[in-house]
Amino acid sequence: MKSCADLVLRCTLGALLLSATAATQDLGSRWGTAEREREYYRVVKLPTPEGAVIEAGAFEVLPDGRIAVGTRRGDIYLLSGVDEAKPDPSYDLFASGLDEIFGIAHRDGALYVTQSCELTRITDQDGDGRADRFKTISDAWGYENYHEYAFGSKFDPAGNLYVALGLSESYHSRALFRGWVLQVTPEGETIPYASGLRSPAGIGPNEHGSLFCIESQGPWNSSCSLKAVRRGGFLGHPVSFNWYRFAPSMGAAPQQPESGSRVLREVERIPELVPYAVIFPYIRMGRSISGFTVDRTGGSFGPFENQMFLGDFTLSLIMRATTEQVKGVWQGACYPFREGLSTGILNVAFTPGGNLVCGGTNRGWPVRGRLPFALERLEWTGEMPFEILRVSIRQDGFDVEFTQPVDAKTGRDLNSYRLGTFTHIYHAGYGGPEVDQTIPEVKAVRLSADRRTATIVLDELIRGHVYELDLGALRSKGGGPLLHQHAYYTVNEIPD
Amino acid sequence: MSTTIRFGSDGTRVQQPRFRGSLFRHVITGLLLAGLAPGASGIAQQNAVAVPGLAGKHALGAEDVGELLLGELMCHACHAGLATRETSRQQGPDLTDVGARIAPEYLVRYIADPAGTHRGTKMPSVLHAEPAARRQEIATAIAAFLIDRSPHRFATEAIAAEEAAAGETLFHEVGCIVCHSPRRPALPEGKMPSPNRGQVDLSVMRQKYSLESLSDFLYLPSRIRPSGRMPDLGLSKAEARALASALIGVGPDRGSAATPSTERVDEGRRYFVAYRCSSCHALDNVESERPRIVISTSTGGCLSASASDSPRYALDDAQRDALAQSIAAPERTVSDEQQIDWTLTAFNCFGCHERGQSGGVSPELDPYFTTSEPELGDEARLPPPLTGVGAKLRGDWLREVVFGSGSVRHYMHTRMPRFEEAALGSLPERLGRVDDIEDFPMPIPEGKEANRLRDGGRELLGKPGLSCISCHDFNGKPSAGFAGIDLVDTAERLEPTWFARFLLKPQSFRRGTVMPEYWPGGVAVQPDILEGETEAQIQALWNYLAQGRTARDPVGIRGEPSVLTVTDTVSTYRGRSRIAGFRGIAVGHPGGVNFAFDAQNGSLAAIWLGEFVSVNWSSQGAGDFNPRSRPIELARDVAFVRLESPDAPWPLRPQTSKEKPVNPDPIYPRQHGYRFEGYAFGEGNVPTLRYRSGAVRIEDRCEADPSSDPPRLIRHLRFVSPEADALTFRLLAGAIEARSKSVSEVSGLRLRVPDVPTRLRRSSESEAELLLELALPAGELLLRIDYEILR
Repeated sequence: MKSCADLVLRCTLGALLLSATAATQDLGSRWGTAEREREYYRVVKLPTPEGAVIEAGAFEVLPDGRIAVGTRRGDIYLLSGVDEAKPDPSYDLFASGLDEIFGIAHRDGALYVTQSCELTRITDQDGDGRADRFKTISDAWGYENYHEYAFGSKFDPAGNLYVALGLSESYHSRALFRGWVLQVTPEGETIPYASGLRSPAGIGPNEHGSLFCIESQGPWNSSCSLKAVRRGGFLGHPVSFNWYRFAPSMGAAPQQPESGSRVLREVERIPELVPYAVIFPYIRMGRSISGFTVDRTGGSFGPFENQMFLGDFTLSLIMRATTEQVKGVWQGACYPFREGLSTGILNVAFTPGGNLVCGGTNRGWPVRGRLPFALERLEWTGEMPFEILRVSIRQDGFDVEFTQPVDAKTGRDLNSYRLGTFTHIYHAGYGGPEVDQTIPEVKAVRLSADRRTATIVLDELIRGHVYELDLGALRSKGGGPLLHQHAYYTVNEIPD
Repeated sequence: MSTTIRFGSDGTRVQQPRFRGSLFRHVITGLLLAGLAPGASGIAQQNAVAVPGLAGKHALGAEDVGELLLGELMCHACHAGLATRETSRQQGPDLTDVGARIAPEYLVRYIADPAGTHRGTKMPSVLHAEPAARRQEIATAIAAFLIDRSPHRFATEAIAAEEAAAGETLFHEVGCIVCHSPRRPALPEGKMPSPNRGQVDLSVMRQKYSLESLSDFLYLPSRIRPSGRMPDLGLSKAEARALASALIGVGPDRGSAATPSTERVDEGRRYFVAYRCSSCHALDNVESERPRIVISTSTGGCLSASASDSPRYALDDAQRDALAQSIAAPERTVSDEQQIDWTLTAFNCFGCHERGQSGGVSPELDPYFTTSEPELGDEARLPPPLTGVGAKLRGDWLREVVFGSGSVRHYMHTRMPRFEEAALGSLPERLGRVDDIEDFPMPIPEGKEANRLRDGGRELLGKPGLSCISCHDFNGKPSAGFAGIDLVDTAERLEPTWFARFLLKPQSFRRGTVMPEYWPGGVAVQPDILEGETEAQIQALWNYLAQGRTARDPVGIRGEPSVLTVTDTVSTYRGRSRIAGFRGIAVGHPGGVNFAFDAQNGSLAAIWLGEFVSVNWSSQGAGDFNPRSRPIELARDVAFVRLESPDAPWPLRPQTSKEKPVNPDPIYPRQHGYRFEGYAFGEGNVPTLRYRSGAVRIEDRCEADPSSDPPRLIRHLRFVSPEADALTFRLLAGAIEARSKSVSEVSGLRLRVPDVPTRLRRSSESEAELLLELALPAGELLLRIDYEILR
């Protein structure tokens, strides 16, 4: 293993550059790829009706193709015409007067809406286009303090919904099940499902249909991460252990994790602890990641079918992620995708036309996007970007797939594959530095026959580390550089 | 016949027009009749190709004009060897569905004689050499072919006068008049501007378009004309329809076009190929090989007024000369500044914007530029100069303005159009390269120094300070004076150096600006803030504004609270509140009788008269509500309980405190049988709240009677029980005064209760509970309680 001085130097330079270019809000530097991204993915604004404030927090595509948009202000609009070449959607106000909507799921003509106070089944009984029946499906959680947000999922194949509950004031668990995931069954029963969240901002299936949620940086979370939600699991933040006595099905509370340790070290002691599946290096990959969805557009959004797309509130950008299960543990990689959206992104959804609708607000926290609220559509221009399609783990390294064949010369050059690794301290402090950096040695590179996959053999893989790939020197068959040269893979397990 | 074009000399394969062997015959005939062909001699000057930017104030010499015209006329579509400039990347209109877009009669006429049909068109006549009857025949065949392959058919629709009137206003406000002649004087009594040959004629709209096709085109011009000379003015669909209504005009029904005969479709297709129409027009599956003709002369061919075997453009002498000069000129490299000039001319940016000595709104059109904030002066109505814009705007913002929807001057009626990136993609970059500004130190300090500057900036921006907020909005909060540009995203838009230089000498950037000079001669007029140091004050303003939306509001600006008002139906609003807990529901009735329900505990929590609620949607506000007047607050403990014994204490809601912040009884009041089940709107949107106590379902609906004296809330409770049951209803708690068996008063409220067993249970000397003992039969029980509001 090489010394990590080189990486440290790179990081220092990065920091210097960052302070020089961070002209404004100390939000961190941009990726700087927006201009090139435009060639492949356009941001198209969806005009909103004059006077309406639409701070989207949840989306759902209805069977008739309309898109339901739930807002922080508690309104639900039904939008038509989102996919038109130049959109000027019509907005029908379906319901209003609700309490900060962060989840909408449709079933049998009803909207199941997660508001801060409850999960509500909302219907229009008299057929006049306005909701008139608001049936409480579950309010089996405490809602008594500042910052107690609730995020709702879509239905899983068995008809269950899941609600992810943020902590009280983002640090404590002062009301029932704050920091937990609850499952609401088709029969309306609410079952405590997992503990240990801090400040989730989206919950739903990964590309393989397994339940995940997004977590924000803070105590016990040195960075934002995608977390696999396992029934009975403990997702990392122990402050919500006090509610196990109200959740007999969950058994006894896990052991307290030791502050200052590493997640995987604590997993040895605490079997309930679920290692964080995909870690998003702080600032380089988002600062407050929010709602996510999976591309099932059948290719109309480009080459990333069956991948997860996630929004970021602070930096007003969209990222991608892929996951895989190794020895029963979820892990995977995240990738930059598109920056330069107009507001803080709270949620995203694919439209029937295969575009990604993104929405949110910049109210309340620092946000790069300049608009107080916006709905925007990301659309593929049809041009194929040269991107890292997917990184997956091997016993001795990684397979890196690309969206286009790579150039043979740079593709076979070991120097085109620069890697660094780090891990985080797992501790009660807020956030945390990247530590235990290493520079793995690339021992060999093999290109597949179609040159779309590079297999990288490393001297060593370290469990618990995030592998940062920098393929800036790589060229496509056509000679162009990658649109985004970085990818970040979280190694929890190594296949045999 | 003087042949001025050499075919295939560059070695490329050339397909000559070949059609039934008769084309050349007609060419010859055409030659003989040259004098009679449309526009063959002395092109009528008023028909000459209209390029709006060239009629305005631009800085191009004849050679540059020629170069630009080569692009505008799409000479590259047929000619090889012309340097490909950015402004040359053009395509003709998309003909995919032209049969639905354009009236068939017009289409025939236009193909037969473009310039004679639409004055100023850039489309050349390819049939000019044919005799009139033959021209008509070919044009009819081509039209039939185009119509036949269009998926839709042309159909007219009546124009609504009201829409047309709205469209007229839009036409004269949003910027159409910069490239098209105004249709009325700017002021009611004013003069019409003199006609300008550069303006693109709109007099044929009524003959050419249907309401639908013109609306669609105006809504998204690039779908038909991808080169973007007609830009997207950001019209909504309704606006596009209004504008189209105005342009087509109200008049007698034009009737539906006769379906053209399909007899000549195949023939038309062959003509379309033979006359190389697809050199300029995209049409699926129709390709005629593009001829690559090297220009060998600068006077003959298309430039000749008499040549019969090349397309004939309606050019005036000056245009012809300019083209000739450009063709004759040696090849040259183009500087950024030159390319910028061409682009700003080709897209007529100069029609609205000055840059250096070029461009700017012409005096005749000036009165058409209007604003909703006249006090802000000309800069509120005239688009900003582009002089130095590359040093003024951050690159990404400049791109957003040109290609996206970046706009901050909400008061300006003229709209900045959205241009196609493919058409002028490099403009922002070039502007960034050539524009420069004198440096100014603009450090971004950290720690204490950062705080000192930010605080200073905040003070300067606010009152008294420099009171920038007297003319500028801030963070969505309106200025008390004029609604000038919101300053909150200054640092996202502007380059810091330009910001500093502009503050120091606003007049040097914009003559006559109402922006005051606060550092005349470099000396601060505000001597107290940051010790009156000019540099520090300007740096402070930047550092403060660089915080964006996280900046604390400057002193003197205030957000308007969001107020929910009740109109003619009941308003129901969920949110946290001091008076009804986190699971609060506020209900406002028309007439100003309002109440709040605590859905956590199932209790009527507060009643108030007058306006409904204000809600907190500022910053992190979760929409918490506050009554607009002082409410009568009631106990918020669970209201229905099965007491174990008559003396058993009432189960009170858990209390937390700063010292003990964790809820000590987190499942309260579930363990007492309470469940909230939601609500449903009935007549007038009156909500019926639904909840349960054990197996007993309770429906709780309040009607308001605002006109009674005193005003009252009439509460209807409906209990549905599967079996006989008993519940205690704690109707009131506090300093209750029992006036009679059925009338009690508490803090400004008088209750009339029905004839059920009632007891007043003292909990202290001054406090009591009013308990109703409900004997519920299996089935339904109804209860009415009147809440009379005494204050």
